[in-house]
Amino acid sequence: MSLLARNVESLAQLRVAIHATDPSRGESLRRLVVEAGHVVVSDRNSADVILSDGDFPSPAIRPTVTLGGTAHELPGVLSRNANSQQIDAALRAVAVGLIVRSPDLTDIGFGSMPEHDVALLLTPRELEILSAIADGDTNKAIARRLNISLHTVKFHVESVFRKLGARTRTEAVAKASERRRKETIKL
Amino acid sequence: MTDPLGQFSGALTAQVEATKPVVAAIRFGHERYVTGIVWSSDVIVASEQSLPRRDEFEVVAADGAVTAAKTGGRDSSTNIAVLRPQAQLASSSITTGEARAGAIAIAIGADGTGGASARLGIVNVAGPEWHSSRGGLIDRRIVLDIRLARSEEGGPVLDAAGHCIGMSTFGPRGQVLVIPAATIHRIVPVLLRDGRVARGWLGVTLHAVAVPDALRETANQPSGLMVMSVVEGGPAAQAGIVAGDIILSVDGTSTHRFRRITRHFGSDSIGRKADLRLIRGGRVITVKTPIAERPAA
Repeated sequence: MSLLARNVESLAQLRVAIHATDPSRGESLRRLVVEAGHVVVSDRNSADVILSDGDFPSPAIRPTVTLGGTAHELPGVLSRNANSQQIDAALRAVAVGLIVRSPDLTDIGFGSMPEHDVALLLTPRELEILSAIADGDTNKAIARRLNISLHTVKFHVESVFRKLGARTRTEAVAKASERRRKETIKL
Repeated sequence: MTDPLGQFSGALTAQVEATKPVVAAIRFGHERYVTGIVWSSDVIVASEQSLPRRDEFEVVAADGAVTAAKTGGRDSSTNIAVLRPQAQLASSSITTGEARAGAIAIAIGADGTGGASARLGIVNVAGPEWHSSRGGLIDRRIVLDIRLARSEEGGPVLDAAGHCIGMSTFGPRGQVLVIPAATIHRIVPVLLRDGRVARGWLGVTLHAVAVPDALRETANQPSGLMVMSVVEGGPAAQAGIVAGDIILSVDGTSTHRFRRITRHFGSDSIGRKADLRLIRGGRVITVKTPIAERPAA
């Protein structure tokens, strides 16, 4: 096997050590890592990457991705609700020596009350369409689910993409979750 | 012979030295700490967002003495927390000053062993009052052109005269902000008395939405706040508010802008009733809802 081929193979499957204080959270992270095609190992010293829910208790000897941790000097810093695609991408990137940050984390810090651009706000119907897109529904499935015509669904989807500045469904879902933070308040 | 640079440098070191007694390191865990201001001999002020949620910390005072300190109160809306040290701390009185754009600013941090670290820059922005994303009123918008280590957050920021203009804290994207001394003066007594700053509460999560075209004329405004969830047993739930309602105004104030709405939910709002104008099922109705006190986070 050539060196290149072996490297590609080792990248495709990483040995990941998981740290989570909450057992059920640990279990769901384990499942996520396995579904992404990696192997979960218990020995942290031999892992390619450590995935830590929140802060990692000791100085990290291996490249570490934290979910919602406060140690911002770690190579991988994602928010606690990062999705599986983001976690997988971060694990792979950190394993080859890159640094990963999610854009919403650059927004942490004591900030001012966000104000939104009214022209870009979604309507309640568009929010419904978006949550169906997030569930992976096709336009046809959305039309059935909301009991509206396929034509109307396409019209709404286009409007959602335009308002979010998204080109794909995945991008729309990602941008919407970023926007949701800015457009939501608790009273 | 005059030595202007030497004098300037000497003035800076003298000020850092003079400020040492009001700087404390607040330790939590292995080699991790943030900075606090010794506001008086039995009160330490810190940046709320920098403090882990726990009841007790270890404090290293200027002389290196270590004492335990209990969390006396925290307010995320103004980013101020107070700690009560178990042993009285040596302190010097703090003279406060006003920030002016372009003025020299010295940000002091704790070095973790009883000493002080220092950063020099200028006041980048000294603007008017502003509202934080948590709904708190900050007396002035003060931005520094200084970089800060995480452990230095919460320390005093001095002007050229050595007066404290406030407490350093991180804003979005690593920007360094100052919580003005005036805000600290206003919030600390409340925290010492109540442990928190009371805020009005409806028990709803709201999402800004565009009002659908068909209802725009009836609503008479382009956007509103849609109720995404209602806290069970909360004031809004008692008033019959349900998910899907689109709130258009609170006591006549349009929900068009978040910051105007949060003004209606200060501590004086608790116990009052608010008139919510809202869209439900395609019609505009008004619902009266009580305002309760926001439960501790």
